[in-house]
Amino acid sequence: MNAVSLAEVLVRPDVWRGAAATAGVPVVRSGFAPLDAELPGGGWARGGLSELLCAGSGIGECSLLLPALASVQAEGRWVVLIAPPQVVYAPAWAERLDLARLLVVAPETQRDRVWAAEQSLSSGAPGAVLCWAPQVESTAVRRLQVAAATGGALGFLFRPESAGREPSAAPLRLQLGATPEGRLAVRMLKRRGPPCAETLLLDMSSRLMRSVAHESADLAGVAPAGAGARGLAVVSVA
Amino acid sequence: MAQGRVLLADAAAQRAGVMAGVGVSSARALLPALSLRPRDLARESAAMQAVACWAGRFTPRVSLADDTVLLEIGRCLRLFGGLRALVATIGESAASLDLSVALAVAPTPLAAHWLALSGVAVVCTSPARLAQHLDPLPVTLLPARAAAALQGFGSTTLGAARRLPAAALARRIGADAVCLLARAFGELPDPRPDFVFPEQFSMSLPLPAAVEHAPVLVFAARRLVAALSGWLTARQAGVRRATLRLRHVSGETALSLGFSEPIADAGRIERVLRERLDRLTLTAPVESLCLDALEVAARPGHDGALFGDAGGERERMGALRERLGARLGETQVVFPAVCNDHRPECATRCGAQPEASPPLSSALLSSLLSSLPPRPLWLLAAPESLREVAGRPYRGGRLDLLTGPERIESGWWDEGERGTETGAVDVRRDYFIARDAGGRAVWIFRECRAPGGWFLHGFFS
Repeated sequence: MNAVSLAEVLVRPDVWRGAAATAGVPVVRSGFAPLDAELPGGGWARGGLSELLCAGSGIGECSLLLPALASVQAEGRWVVLIAPPQVVYAPAWAERLDLARLLVVAPETQRDRVWAAEQSLSSGAPGAVLCWAPQVESTAVRRLQVAAATGGALGFLFRPESAGREPSAAPLRLQLGATPEGRLAVRMLKRRGPPCAETLLLDMSSRLMRSVAHESADLAGVAPAGAGARGLAVVSVA
Repeated sequence: MAQGRVLLADAAAQRAGVMAGVGVSSARALLPALSLRPRDLARESAAMQAVACWAGRFTPRVSLADDTVLLEIGRCLRLFGGLRALVATIGESAASLDLSVALAVAPTPLAAHWLALSGVAVVCTSPARLAQHLDPLPVTLLPARAAAALQGFGSTTLGAARRLPAAALARRIGADAVCLLARAFGELPDPRPDFVFPEQFSMSLPLPAAVEHAPVLVFAARRLVAALSGWLTARQAGVRRATLRLRHVSGETALSLGFSEPIADAGRIERVLRERLDRLTLTAPVESLCLDALEVAARPGHDGALFGDAGGERERMGALRERLGARLGETQVVFPAVCNDHRPECATRCGAQPEASPPLSSALLSSLLSSLPPRPLWLLAAPESLREVAGRPYRGGRLDLLTGPERIESGWWDEGERGTETGAVDVRRDYFIARDAGGRAVWIFRECRAPGGWFLHGFFS
């Protein structure tokens, strides 16, 4: 039997030790302070696959990522959406992201989805890859995690809530739900470092609460005269 | 074999005593199972053309001499990181194409030619030491008459021949042979005509045996791709569209290859090709391949960056798009763009190429859009009809209206004509943002035209 000293084991890259392991990981800030405080390293890890288990489409799961995607694009990198659940409505995306750096891939089969995600992550070209995969095998998740680590991109995998019961190779797993008031409830099922028992409630409704003074602005028409002249107001709805 | 004599014998034949120059009948006597193939000069010259094109990857100055390809590499050493690295790269590239080559480097083209023919893998760059490498070579490299004469008076190596008095030697073996010697040793200039890279690239490769499985063709096609890549590099061009034709006994299958930008990188072309071939089921065995470059464009050189590598990212992204497009189909890889139309169905345009010059900059577009009421990230492909309970929309529970109404009324000109198939219709709707029982924010509208009713149209995600 080979005697392996503890020091030798600890230097292995696949061994991590509690809180110390999260230091020094390059991250992209999520844009939500309470979430950043709980995410290992203070943001979404570059070169890491994050699993988002959602109760359904439309609870604010994309808005959760938009600030991080915008900062990835600000570095001049691309964002790739693979198999989005619905039609991408360009005006809404253009408001937060630069469409000139957004690629949408719509593979038909489950196998092609995983393949496309793996290719995109490992190529090192895009800065962030979002993949929607209702059924994905645990070996495929592991492959995606390896691909993300190779390419150094932010990898997000959207899975149904039921997948939370299966083990997964993703270093970060978040369960997302909506409260009846429309806030996003984020529970960390798994993260590097000590576990987090708390459920974070993030307010996503500010994107909905905006009234517009002048009814229609022609897209190709006048340039905005400035923030004041646009007459934005935030109204609160009880 | 040609003219009744063996030209080249493989290792098994050589063990039986069949050597180059042996007559066909003696060869058959030595080895009854011998399989003889006639020399096919046309195919040989086509293969040499392909090798010359491939060599264009390393240097633009290539010349063909009989059955040898000469590369002038003095001026491109820096590009490839030195002589040793360049020779290693050429060797690896040739090995990956399954070409067996004998490489030699020398200061004069003829010396390199002779060294390569003799199978002396020498790398000699100094003219002063050239003689040391050339002297032991046999005189048989010279024209047959001169070689016979030299052997007749006991000089079997080039070194021995050169030690003879020059004037007498010229009289005895001919001025031409003396001239060749002087050229090889660098005493006379030796200008060579450059190989002219063809204007159009169209190259075919007969397969040694018919192939029935498409993925196997990737290996065969590599030589064609390598030749195309070398040809493009030498012409400083890139290919945007190419066709690989798979020829069957009767008929052919054409595979069209598209690239996001003019490229010359063999690896990238090969990856796209591999995706296409992996998915292909052959209808008949393939006898030969033919690669044509259909659309070739000049490829601007790009500046290397001292810090970071912005150009590299663009290139990697292009390569990724090609790969995805080659396997999934071009229509499945799209770039969304905003259309100037208020109707939600018509506000998104998905292009196969990113919009080259969008009418509005991203920042301006973003600020204009943020002055409109909020829009959902996801749109349903077709509006979903909702139940109405007590005058309120209902979907698994009552929907609470948060903001609205926002009237969208547009598109009367589309009514009735091309309406239904493009999804562009005359709309008159009042849009609301609502929240369902599960806390999800949805985009719903009330149809203002008969018969009315509530519809779900999108999710704020």
